[in-house]
Amino acid sequence: MNDHYVINLGRQLGSGGKEIGEKLAKALNIAFFDKELIKLASDESGLCKEFFEKADERAQQTMLGGLFGGRFPFISDGTLPYGSFLNNDSLFKIQSDVIRSLAENQSCLFVGRCADYILRDHPRHVNIFISASKEARIARLMQLHPITEEQAEEMIEKADKKRSAYYNYYSYKTWGAAATYHLCVDSSVMGIDKTVEYILQFVKHKLGLA
Amino acid sequence: MSQKRNATELGTQPIGKLLMQYAIPAIIAMTASSLYNMVDSIFIGQGVGPLAISGLAITFPFMNLGAAFGAMVGVGASTLISVKLGQRDYGTAQTVLGNVITLNLIIGIAFSIITLMFLDPILYFFGASADTIGYARDYMLIILAGNVFSHMYFGLNAVLRASGHPQKAMYATINTVVINTLLDPLFIYVFDWGIRGAAIATIIAQVISLVWQFKILTDKNELLHLRRGIYHLQSKIVKNIIAIGLSPFCMNVASCFIVIFINKGLKEYDGDLAIGAYGIVNRLVFICVMIVMGITQGMQPIAGYNFGAQQFDRVTRVLKLSIYGATAMTTLTFLVGELLPDVAVRLFTTDEGLISRAADGFRIVVLFFPIVGFQMVTSNFFQSIGMANKAIFLSLTRQLLFLLPCLIILPTFMGAAGIWWSMPISDLIASLVAGVLLYKQFQEFKYQKS
Repeated sequence: MNDHYVINLGRQLGSGGKEIGEKLAKALNIAFFDKELIKLASDESGLCKEFFEKADERAQQTMLGGLFGGRFPFISDGTLPYGSFLNNDSLFKIQSDVIRSLAENQSCLFVGRCADYILRDHPRHVNIFISASKEARIARLMQLHPITEEQAEEMIEKADKKRSAYYNYYSYKTWGAAATYHLCVDSSVMGIDKTVEYILQFVKHKLGLA
Repeated sequence: MSQKRNATELGTQPIGKLLMQYAIPAIIAMTASSLYNMVDSIFIGQGVGPLAISGLAITFPFMNLGAAFGAMVGVGASTLISVKLGQRDYGTAQTVLGNVITLNLIIGIAFSIITLMFLDPILYFFGASADTIGYARDYMLIILAGNVFSHMYFGLNAVLRASGHPQKAMYATINTVVINTLLDPLFIYVFDWGIRGAAIATIIAQVISLVWQFKILTDKNELLHLRRGIYHLQSKIVKNIIAIGLSPFCMNVASCFIVIFINKGLKEYDGDLAIGAYGIVNRLVFICVMIVMGITQGMQPIAGYNFGAQQFDRVTRVLKLSIYGATAMTTLTFLVGELLPDVAVRLFTTDEGLISRAADGFRIVVLFFPIVGFQMVTSNFFQSIGMANKAIFLSLTRQLLFLLPCLIILPTFMGAAGIWWSMPISDLIASLVAGVLLYKQFQEFKYQKS
């Protein structure tokens, strides 16, 4: 490969991770990919966008083993559930193929979607995680959406659960744990813009950018 | 990028051709594993005696329970491995393989120890009598002693299939059938080992296949091979395996309880031979069920992809073709059951009491089989278009939700016949429910299209 590099950004809901990612990508003049990945993946596969949206950052459900007709007892080794193209595992595979091919030709920044695991063999990559204090997350969500404090708290709880299940299921690492990333920052300490500046410094040092 | 090629193929090739291409290997594998059970029963029935068939049928729930654990590890592990292989993360895939081996060792041995300690009480609970427990015990002692090999063999076959060797997994299955078929007559007729001979043949066949599997998996040129340091259990892997494998586990446990119910009821109302009759009917019907399952397995990727690509015409076409195929198979079984049940039953035994019971039972059980094919394809169809909840519900209706109440209520009025009749009745109701759900689904498709 050449001089291309990738930045993989994990984030908590309400931490401003997406905004930080956008500003970071703009400052470095590299491509930014968030949810539009879904559209690219669906174009690639010929499948409809809705299925990717439904599966977005959701780990494979415990699924039925195709053990129909099991009223009659048997030791079966032929009844495993393969090949359904609509399970989250295969949608994850299609999406990660898209992520890999995007990263092959350009420098880019990916938000979420286990990109740090998918691109773990990329020679130049930086993995960053953005967190924020609970109060800051709730405040940010209430500012973005017309919701109450309780609703914001519930959203946060659900999102944390969903994202960590997704991340841990596919990467076998721990979502949000310091050892998983190169850098973890609490965005509520310095605010969005200062945090971007700070990460920019780190990225430049890590990758040896001018 | 083979996935990409496959995907386009699924969206463009003629449906009939695709269905053949995907279903035939599945049908062969299914038929092989059901033949395996049938061959054992035939040799035991012909070589050992009618009560031995009852003894064997009493052990079915045991097999279900063993299969439940096997399915849990197998389904879980193969899912994880194919995900990891898809990411070209071979190191982790190997760790999953190592964990599968350790898990199977632990579960296989623990299962044997616990069940061997309480073997007699368990068998009596399953419906054994003073006359049949000898056969059941002899058979189970050997099967349980070799249980860890069976677990390992089934687990590794699932792994082989997931790691891009579906043909090799199929050969392993066929291999066990052939060896078992060769050894059964030798052990039963020549060495005169009785029902024990059948159990020994089963274990030996599995051990030989297991050795072959190990030979494949120790090949350093394979992407997925055994090496040091992969056997230590990792909590994340074990947790994921159990999370994915839990629902097949529960399905198998549920069918284990249903069989206990059937066996106990038959014994209570009609004696030991009735259990043997159920054992025979079970084996016969099972082949049909497995072939239908092969068809539905072939249908799954085709229906799934085209549903995802919103090509509803192709979805409808593959569903129709699968229903035709499944119905042809179940109707054939229906015809055999209604017209010449005793010919089929005579394969297993020469005892007239057993023959008449099994033939009568066969005739009742297959009564609504011409529509059962539709029911099975439909529940699998929901699975393949990503509606697992409806699929589980439909599959449970036939095997549990409608069957269990029938099994409890009907015998109080009709005796043993009530147990036999429970099966076609729950088939009928379950098929009606499947029809309603499918109809509603298609109304929704039409609504979406317009």
